[in-house]
Amino acid sequence: MDPSALNSPDLQRFLNQEKEKAMVNEMVAKLTSVCWDKCITSTPGNKFSSSESACLSNCAQRFMDMTMIIMKRVQSMQET
Amino acid sequence: MDSFSTGSSGSGSPQISTDEFMDQMKVQLAQAYAQEFLETVRGKCFEKCITKPGSSLSGSESSCISRCVDRYIEATGIVGRALLNSR
Repeated sequence: MDPSALNSPDLQRFLNQEKEKAMVNEMVAKLTSVCWDKCITSTPGNKFSSSESACLSNCAQRFMDMTMIIMKRVQSMQET
Repeated sequence: MDSFSTGSSGSGSPQISTDEFMDQMKVQLAQAYAQEFLETVRGKCFEKCITKPGSSLSGSESSCISRCVDRYIEATGIVGRALLNSR
Protein backbone atom coordinates (compact mmCIF):
# COMPACT_ATOMS: atom_id res chain seq x y z
CA MET A 1 0.00 0.00 0.00
CA ASP A 2 1.23 3.45 -0.81
CA PRO A 3 1.62 5.05 2.66
CA SER A 4 0.73 8.54 1.45
CA ALA A 5 -2.78 7.28 0.67
CA LEU A 6 -3.37 6.87 4.40
CA ASN A 7 -3.30 10.65 4.79
CA SER A 8 -6.48 11.05 2.77
CA PRO A 9 -8.88 13.07 4.94
CA ASP A 10 -11.80 11.19 3.40
CA LEU A 11 -10.29 7.90 4.48
CA GLN A 12 -9.51 9.17 7.99
CA ARG A 13 -13.04 10.43 8.43
CA PHE A 14 -14.42 7.16 7.09
CA LEU A 15 -12.26 5.04 9.39
CA ASN A 16 -13.20 7.12 12.43
CA GLN A 17 -16.89 6.83 11.60
CA GLU A 18 -16.66 3.09 11.10
CA LYS A 19 -14.69 2.71 14.32
CA GLU A 20 -17.43 4.56 16.20
CA LYS A 21 -20.14 2.51 14.50
CA ALA A 22 -18.33 -0.72 15.40
CA MET A 23 -18.12 0.30 19.06
CA VAL A 24 -21.82 1.18 19.18
CA ASN A 25 -22.70 -2.08 17.44
CA GLU A 26 -20.64 -4.07 19.92
CA MET A 27 -22.25 -2.30 22.88
CA VAL A 28 -25.77 -2.91 21.59
CA ALA A 29 -25.00 -6.55 20.78
CA LYS A 30 -23.48 -7.25 24.17
CA LEU A 31 -26.27 -5.46 26.02
CA THR A 32 -28.98 -7.24 24.06
CA SER A 33 -27.36 -10.58 24.86
CA VAL A 34 -27.09 -9.85 28.58
CA CYS A 35 -30.56 -8.31 28.86
CA TRP A 36 -32.18 -11.09 26.85
CA ASP A 37 -30.84 -13.61 29.34
CA LYS A 38 -32.04 -11.52 32.28
CA CYS A 39 -35.47 -10.57 30.98
CA ILE A 40 -36.75 -13.25 28.62
CA THR A 41 -37.13 -16.16 30.96
CA SER A 42 -39.89 -18.11 29.19
CA THR A 43 -40.33 -19.46 25.67
CA PRO A 44 -40.53 -16.59 23.15
CA GLY A 45 -44.10 -15.65 22.19
CA ASN A 46 -45.64 -13.70 19.34
CA LYS A 47 -44.85 -10.46 21.08
CA PHE A 48 -43.18 -9.27 24.27
CA SER A 49 -45.30 -8.73 27.32
CA SER A 50 -45.15 -5.18 28.65
CA SER A 51 -43.05 -6.35 31.58
CA GLU A 52 -40.57 -8.02 29.22
CA SER A 53 -40.11 -4.92 27.08
CA ALA A 54 -39.88 -2.69 30.17
CA CYS A 55 -37.27 -5.08 31.58
CA LEU A 56 -35.19 -4.92 28.39
CA SER A 57 -35.28 -1.14 28.32
CA ASN A 58 -34.51 -0.82 32.05
CA CYS A 59 -31.75 -3.39 31.79
CA ALA A 60 -29.94 -1.39 29.11
CA GLN A 61 -30.18 1.86 31.05
CA ARG A 62 -29.15 0.33 34.39
CA PHE A 63 -26.20 -1.31 32.70
CA MET A 64 -25.04 2.09 31.46
CA ASP A 65 -25.58 3.63 34.92
CA MET A 66 -23.50 0.83 36.39
CA THR A 67 -20.74 1.41 33.85
CA MET A 68 -20.50 5.06 34.95
CA ILE A 69 -20.33 4.08 38.62
CA ILE A 70 -17.60 1.54 37.97
CA MET A 71 -15.56 4.00 35.93
CA LYS A 72 -15.81 6.67 38.61
CA ARG A 73 -14.89 4.20 41.32
CA VAL A 74 -11.84 2.92 39.48
CA GLN A 75 -10.83 6.51 38.71
CA SER A 76 -11.08 7.54 42.37
CA MET A 77 -9.08 4.49 43.39
CA GLN A 78 -6.32 5.44 40.98
CA GLU A 79 -6.19 8.96 42.36
CA THR A 80 -5.51 7.94 45.99
CA MET B 1 -6.73 10.64 -6.44
CA ASP B 2 -5.43 8.48 -3.63
CA SER B 3 -4.99 4.89 -4.49
CA PHE B 4 -4.07 1.65 -2.80
CA SER B 5 -2.12 -1.20 -4.19
CA THR B 6 -3.78 -4.51 -3.65
CA GLY B 7 -0.59 -6.50 -4.11
CA SER B 8 2.71 -6.29 -2.29
CA SER B 9 4.98 -3.48 -3.29
CA GLY B 10 6.16 -3.75 -6.83
CA SER B 11 5.26 -2.75 -10.29
CA GLY B 12 2.15 -3.96 -12.02
CA SER B 13 -0.04 -4.33 -8.90
CA PRO B 14 -3.64 -3.25 -9.54
CA GLN B 15 -4.52 0.07 -7.91
CA ILE B 16 -7.88 0.75 -6.31
CA SER B 17 -9.21 4.15 -5.41
CA THR B 18 -10.00 5.34 -1.90
CA ASP B 19 -13.69 5.26 -2.81
CA GLU B 20 -13.51 1.66 -3.94
CA PHE B 21 -11.60 0.75 -0.81
CA MET B 22 -14.24 2.37 1.39
CA ASP B 23 -17.04 0.64 -0.52
CA GLN B 24 -15.38 -2.74 -0.15
CA MET B 25 -14.80 -2.11 3.54
CA LYS B 26 -18.47 -1.20 4.06
CA VAL B 27 -19.56 -4.45 2.42
CA GLN B 28 -17.15 -6.50 4.51
CA LEU B 29 -18.17 -4.75 7.72
CA ALA B 30 -21.87 -5.32 6.98
CA GLN B 31 -21.16 -8.99 6.37
CA ALA B 32 -19.19 -9.28 9.60
CA TYR B 33 -21.98 -7.65 11.61
CA ALA B 34 -24.59 -9.92 10.02
CA GLN B 35 -22.46 -12.98 10.72
CA GLU B 36 -22.02 -12.04 14.37
CA PHE B 37 -25.73 -11.37 14.76
CA LEU B 38 -26.60 -14.71 13.18
CA GLU B 39 -24.33 -16.61 15.55
CA THR B 40 -25.75 -14.87 18.60
CA VAL B 41 -29.37 -15.49 17.59
CA ARG B 42 -28.56 -19.10 16.80
CA GLY B 43 -27.16 -19.66 20.28
CA LYS B 44 -29.98 -17.90 22.11
CA CYS B 45 -32.76 -19.60 20.20
CA PHE B 46 -31.26 -23.04 20.40
CA GLU B 47 -31.13 -22.60 24.14
CA LYS B 48 -34.74 -21.39 24.38
CA CYS B 49 -36.40 -23.67 21.87
CA ILE B 50 -34.52 -26.95 21.62
CA THR B 51 -34.72 -28.31 25.13
CA LYS B 52 -34.56 -31.97 24.20
CA PRO B 53 -33.06 -32.58 20.76
CA GLY B 54 -35.00 -35.30 18.94
CA SER B 55 -34.39 -37.06 15.68
CA SER B 56 -35.80 -34.07 13.78
CA LEU B 57 -37.14 -30.57 14.44
CA SER B 58 -40.74 -30.68 15.61
CA GLY B 59 -43.33 -28.19 14.40
CA SER B 60 -43.44 -26.48 17.76
CA GLU B 61 -39.65 -26.20 17.80
CA SER B 62 -39.69 -24.64 14.33
CA SER B 63 -42.32 -22.07 15.21
CA CYS B 64 -40.53 -21.33 18.49
CA ILE B 65 -37.35 -20.60 16.55
CA SER B 66 -39.25 -18.32 14.18
CA ARG B 67 -40.76 -16.35 17.05
CA CYS B 68 -37.45 -16.30 18.86
CA VAL B 69 -35.64 -14.71 15.92
CA ASP B 70 -38.38 -12.05 15.62
CA ARG B 71 -38.23 -11.35 19.36
CA TYR B 72 -34.46 -11.11 19.40
CA ILE B 73 -34.53 -8.60 16.57
CA GLU B 74 -37.17 -6.66 18.49
CA ALA B 75 -35.07 -6.85 21.68
CA THR B 76 -32.08 -5.45 19.79
CA GLY B 77 -34.25 -2.50 18.76
CA ILE B 78 -35.51 -1.89 22.30
CA VAL B 79 -31.98 -2.00 23.74
CA GLY B 80 -30.60 0.19 20.94
CA ARG B 81 -33.26 2.85 21.49
CA ALA B 82 -32.77 2.75 25.28
CA LEU B 83 -29.05 3.39 24.72
CA LEU B 84 -29.74 6.28 22.34
CA ASN B 85 -32.09 7.93 24.82
CA SER B 86 -29.77 7.63 27.79
CA ARG B 87 -26.77 9.41 26.21
